Amino acid sequence: MRFCCLLLKLLLLAGMFGSQGCSSVAPWERGNLAKEEMSLDPYPNLSHIRDHIFTSREASQGGRTGSGGGCGCN
Amino acid sequence: MKWLTNFCAALMLTGSSMAHALHEGQATPQCPSALTDKGQKLDLTAYKGKVLLIDFWATWCGPCQKSMPFLNSLRNQHQREGFEVVAINVDEDSEIAREFLQAHPVDYPMAFDPKGECPAQFNVEAMPSSFFIDKTGKVRKVHLGYRDDDQAAIGKLVSTLLAE
Repeated sequence: MRFCCLLLKLLLLAGMFGSQGCSSVAPWERGNLAKEEMSLDPYPNLSHIRDHIFTSREASQGGRTGSGGGCGCN
Repeated sequence: MKWLTNFCAALMLTGSSMAHALHEGQATPQCPSALTDKGQKLDLTAYKGKVLLIDFWATWCGPCQKSMPFLNSLRNQHQREGFEVVAINVDEDSEIAREFLQAHPVDYPMAFDPKGECPAQFNVEAMPSSFFIDKTGKVRKVHLGYRDDDQAAIGKLVSTLLAE
């Protein structure tokens, strides 16, 4: 039983070592990452105005980065 | 079981590769993988006896683009004194860089290394990276990134190396 437990631990260890998801991307290989569509928020201005409108209309649900009140009619 | 978890976490962290940057005082690596405009292999030994600035750049890198007019004027200002800039483009598609250069031409020599073997030789740590090579062919300074505020320091370093 003890041997099995140790074997299981070793297998787990080997599995974790083999399943590393991290990989380094060299600075000169970041061309695709630099593309606009790869950013978390490709249209920050549009997101901001939409957030503002959403916050104004749905005051109880807003509050992300939206600021100010206003009528939300824009 | 806790020790096992800690050990596994440490093991996973050590799995990331570490590169060692090119240090000041080291000889300039060669870049046979980089091809010039005419399709010839880039020969950095041809610039021995000159002060050389090797600039790694890409079209997707904003500061790289920003640095180019400054490097061009610096090169034209000091060219007669024995200063040269060699730019190595690392875009995966060199055609994009050629189109960019047609719209924004520079006077200094250009090489293209889409496979990225040359920046690997130099262990480039950031984009853009400028390697200042003295007249004997040794790396004297590695400048990472580019800001307008860096212009004075870069100009001063070039003048110092030219005066040696």
